[in-house]
Amino acid sequence: MSFLILENLSKVFHNVTAVEDFNLSVERGEFISFLGPSGCGKTTTLRMIAGFETPTAGRIILNDKDITHVPPNRRNVGMVFQSYALFPNMTVAQNIAFGLRIRKEPEDKIKGRVAEMLALVHLEDKGNNFPHQLSGGQQQRVALARALAIRPQVLLLDEPLSALDAKIRVALRAEIRSIQRELGITAIYVTHDQEEALSISDRIVVMLQGKIEQIGTPFEIYNFPATNFVASFVGTLNTAEAEVLDPEQGILLMDGVRFISADEDVRTKRRGDKVRMSIRPERLSFAAELHKDNVLDCVIENITFLGSVVRIQVRIGNTKFNMDTFNNPFLALPRIGERSKVTCSKEAVLVLKD
Amino acid sequence: MSSNRLGVASDDGRPKPPLLAQPSFSWIGVLPFLLFVFFFLILPSLTLFVGAFQDRDGNFTLENIRGLALPNILSAYWVTIRISVTTALMGGIFGFFLAYSLVTGNMPAWVRSSMATFCGVASNFAGVPLAQAFIFTLGRVGLVTVLLRDLFGIDLYDRGFNLYSFWGLSVTYLYFQLPLMVLVITPAIEGLQREWREAAENLGATPGQYWRYIGIPVLMPSLLGSMILLFGNSFGAYATALSLTGGLINLVTILIGSQIRGDVLHNPNLGYALAVGMVVVMSVMMVIYYALRRRSEYWLKR
Repeated sequence: MSFLILENLSKVFHNVTAVEDFNLSVERGEFISFLGPSGCGKTTTLRMIAGFETPTAGRIILNDKDITHVPPNRRNVGMVFQSYALFPNMTVAQNIAFGLRIRKEPEDKIKGRVAEMLALVHLEDKGNNFPHQLSGGQQQRVALARALAIRPQVLLLDEPLSALDAKIRVALRAEIRSIQRELGITAIYVTHDQEEALSISDRIVVMLQGKIEQIGTPFEIYNFPATNFVASFVGTLNTAEAEVLDPEQGILLMDGVRFISADEDVRTKRRGDKVRMSIRPERLSFAAELHKDNVLDCVIENITFLGSVVRIQVRIGNTKFNMDTFNNPFLALPRIGERSKVTCSKEAVLVLKD
Repeated sequence: MSSNRLGVASDDGRPKPPLLAQPSFSWIGVLPFLLFVFFFLILPSLTLFVGAFQDRDGNFTLENIRGLALPNILSAYWVTIRISVTTALMGGIFGFFLAYSLVTGNMPAWVRSSMATFCGVASNFAGVPLAQAFIFTLGRVGLVTVLLRDLFGIDLYDRGFNLYSFWGLSVTYLYFQLPLMVLVITPAIEGLQREWREAAENLGATPGQYWRYIGIPVLMPSLLGSMILLFGNSFGAYATALSLTGGLINLVTILIGSQIRGDVLHNPNLGYALAVGMVVVMSVMMVIYYALRRRSEYWLKR
């Protein structure tokens, strides 16, 4: 049996359905991310696990116990908030010790655990500081240490990095993942940042309007999106209207340009059906490998330098496609307005589901 | 390179600081405030202080200060302090709970805005109108007194209540003290983050433990500040007490009034000394307040 089970979970606020029929099984030690746009119900689901919201329907089972109606202070679930939520009147050490003091742990054990947690988040010298004396990144580390100090069964993280600047965010998410692996703790992470979810998770739950769109590993979510929304929300995607020319051969026609697709869904269509075709920007490349399935004439429309990646906008037929290529200072980039050829494999050409 | 009378461009083209400093007139902006402070704070305080050490002919004397030790004057200070502490504590505690329920009670916006308006009006409703309102409702033949007696057989006055007593005056003062507390403490309660309570609960704390370890300590500086304001508000009240009790209750403000108004007790210089005594009492309260506030704000001082 899974360690954490969310069974047919729903939450309705004043006739507005925030979460609908949410089902998820989480294994012990797994790192799961809830990913979706604002208002999709990911934080509500997290708050139901924490006990701050009561489900309208469904059950939450943690370690074989039904905790659906257990008050939050008896769940032994750690939570890290977006706003850190450190107690301003307590020092860093007192914040970390708070949960242990409430549990009436012996003072020597509390001291030892606080020192251990401070070392874990690399803040050994900040124990006597007050929260307002720390940077945002340091405060979030303290919040993490405080949540972990009580040895929670599950660690819940509600957009913990949203208030931090980009560089600290990247460093801290790696640190969170490393600590989670080190402790082997089960973690649920809420974010609307797809890059964050892809980089940190064992599995991602993509949500839209209170419902699960897809559950899968980052690899599955990115490469094999189950729905139109997942495909467009996760990563950058080129999409275009096309007509099915030959379902058996997987041939599509877009603006008079033929594309070959290996997507099985094309086989289920009839000749003349309209479909929405998609290609990831990194699956397109210049025509160095002319043996690929799709070799397409194009015009260079724009070039954007993004550091390690160069994004080139090309026009194929009348449709603009983005193409990502690694920055190589020893290879000359094409010029805007130049005619060229781009290629992609037939596996790169997908048909979006409705 | 170019130059002008006020500034000289440097080699890199950026202007250097002006060579001749222009006179600044920015202090004119603060002039109304300084005039206000002089005429309405410093000048009256000086008049009081000087007058407290003068006799009727303007000669220096310590007689007025010695007069403060008279039994009836000491008793007036004691009654005034007691009534101020009582109404500050009661108004503070009940006002806090009222404000808390308004902030956290998920009430419709119109209820909150209506209560805020009512509190704004009620906190300024004092003096003769307030006294009359209480006499008409809770006086011996007041509406509420009569209704309670005739409909429910409850005679407030037979049961020991007297509007013209210490507790009657306290209840009357609470009419403006309680709304004042609601007005001043509401922003502080709104400043308590919901996440602090949730984080405390998440770590195993009960609501009581949250208030004991986080809510009250964080609010303490604001609570103390509000209480001292309520104390001062009650300590300086005059018209309400005079209109309600007609001098039956021996308050310092009523004593000062009777010394200055010019009846049989006419001695303005003793009135000045009494006022200086009030300033001393308020100063002592402020010192206590600052000491407590420093202790409660230890976490902000670092």
